[in-house]
Amino acid sequence: MKAYLGAIWACRYFWLSLVKMDLRSRYRGSVLGIFWSLLHPIAMTTILCVVFSCAFGQDLRTYAPLVFTGLTFWGFFTASAVQGCMCFFNGEAYIRQHPAPLAIYPLRNVLGAAFHFAIGLGLAIIIGVLVGPDIGSNPSATRLSQALALPSLLVSSLLLLLFGWSVSILTGLFSVRFRDSRYLVELGLQGLFYLTPVMYRIEVFKDKHRLTALLQYNPLVSFLDLIRDPILLGRIPSLTTYATATTVVLVVSVAAVTALWIDERQLIFHL
Amino acid sequence: MARIELEHVNLTFRVRQERGIRLKDFILKRLFLPSRNPIMEVRALQDINLCIEQGDRIGFIGHNGAGKSTILKMLAGIYQPTSGRRIVEGKVSSLFDLALGFEIEASGWENIAYRSYLQGETPASVRAKKKEIAEFSELGDFLNMPVRYYSAGMLVRLAFSIATAIDPEILLVDEVLSVGDLAFQNKARQRMRDMMAKAHLMVVVSHDLESLPHVCNRCVWLDHGRIRMIGGCAEVIAAYRSSVDQPAIAA
Repeated sequence: MKAYLGAIWACRYFWLSLVKMDLRSRYRGSVLGIFWSLLHPIAMTTILCVVFSCAFGQDLRTYAPLVFTGLTFWGFFTASAVQGCMCFFNGEAYIRQHPAPLAIYPLRNVLGAAFHFAIGLGLAIIIGVLVGPDIGSNPSATRLSQALALPSLLVSSLLLLLFGWSVSILTGLFSVRFRDSRYLVELGLQGLFYLTPVMYRIEVFKDKHRLTALLQYNPLVSFLDLIRDPILLGRIPSLTTYATATTVVLVVSVAAVTALWIDERQLIFHL
Repeated sequence: MARIELEHVNLTFRVRQERGIRLKDFILKRLFLPSRNPIMEVRALQDINLCIEQGDRIGFIGHNGAGKSTILKMLAGIYQPTSGRRIVEGKVSSLFDLALGFEIEASGWENIAYRSYLQGETPASVRAKKKEIAEFSELGDFLNMPVRYYSAGMLVRLAFSIATAIDPEILLVDEVLSVGDLAFQNKARQRMRDMMAKAHLMVVVSHDLESLPHVCNRCVWLDHGRIRMIGGCAEVIAAYRSSVDQPAIAA
């Protein structure tokens, strides 16, 4: 395990330069540059805000940051899972030439996705600070408590990165074995999107018991709370939230390590 | 000290007729139907015992499909032996599948960096070598263009220039000498010779029976994944020749 991480570190220049290239080629020739990647969540937020504030009378000041943070997280999660499906195929030529650790190919995708996430999170923080914490949901929140809670996002981002990397490894290995995985993953994500409080508050379903129960067992909720608590509610996420998120990360990463353990030596025969 | 040791190494490929299966089929067929896409086993290497010491220059010969390239990839660590022990001490540099592994959207310069990093270089050492690699490839201003627009010959040239800009400890070569046009080929041969002379240990796979005795001190004849004969080049090549009808097989 230690040797494996060492091997990943040893070829850091390789995967880092590939991440850099991915980002550069994505923005090459576009005037908007980095802001291009913000366009999607901003546009989606605008659309949802218009629809929901008209149809359901949502308060824009609290609803817009909610949707924007939700979509920023969701973008990272889907990118990790969906791009992960292709990562070993994209790296096939390298895999056939060099015995570099396989985990660097999912890492390449996840770091690219993490870059977009970081930009989105930056904007979310700006919006959150401008609007101020949502006193309606957390009466004890002040601008000071919000500012004090923001640094917790660093730890949360690291957890998320590890989560995304593990998810990417799993979907990647799975799609080498089963070629139709990508469609299944996309389908699954579509369903999961509605089961995750990305564009609504979990409290909406308070009185519908079955749905709340279902939502309670959605592991993604804890990640959303990790991001939303400091920005929207101006408080450091509760210990329960951290514990849940850490457990989820642990379970997924142990699964990813096990899958790599099994597949590391064999993957090339299935490519 | 560079050293390679193989003890009772077996390598079995388990392949399917169709590349990859779908989850849908997997579930359906496992449950209800016998598979129409059975796993076939190919015993690529069988009971290989070999010890290569510092200073050795080993040449592998044999028919197509005898396992020559497979053994090279196994030595490089790309294929893991199914059973047996493989000990490789020293930093491995390998030259095979040269035209593979380019980022086609990136420029020639960028690709020089990526491939060098993959070979274990650092930004500092790449900066020092970049110019020399560019000069050797003779690609000039093309290096500023995305690799997507390169011809096949240009790609191989670039790949060869990058791959050979190293000081190898263990050098693994899979007949890559036919690169580029005639002038470049001569240059490439010279470069290969220099590099082979520098390597602490070398393993080469070739069909060129004429030139093998010049670069190797020992030869291994592989036949259907087994070692048929190990010994001095002259002797092994003579035995191999007499076993085939034609005096020599051109690639």
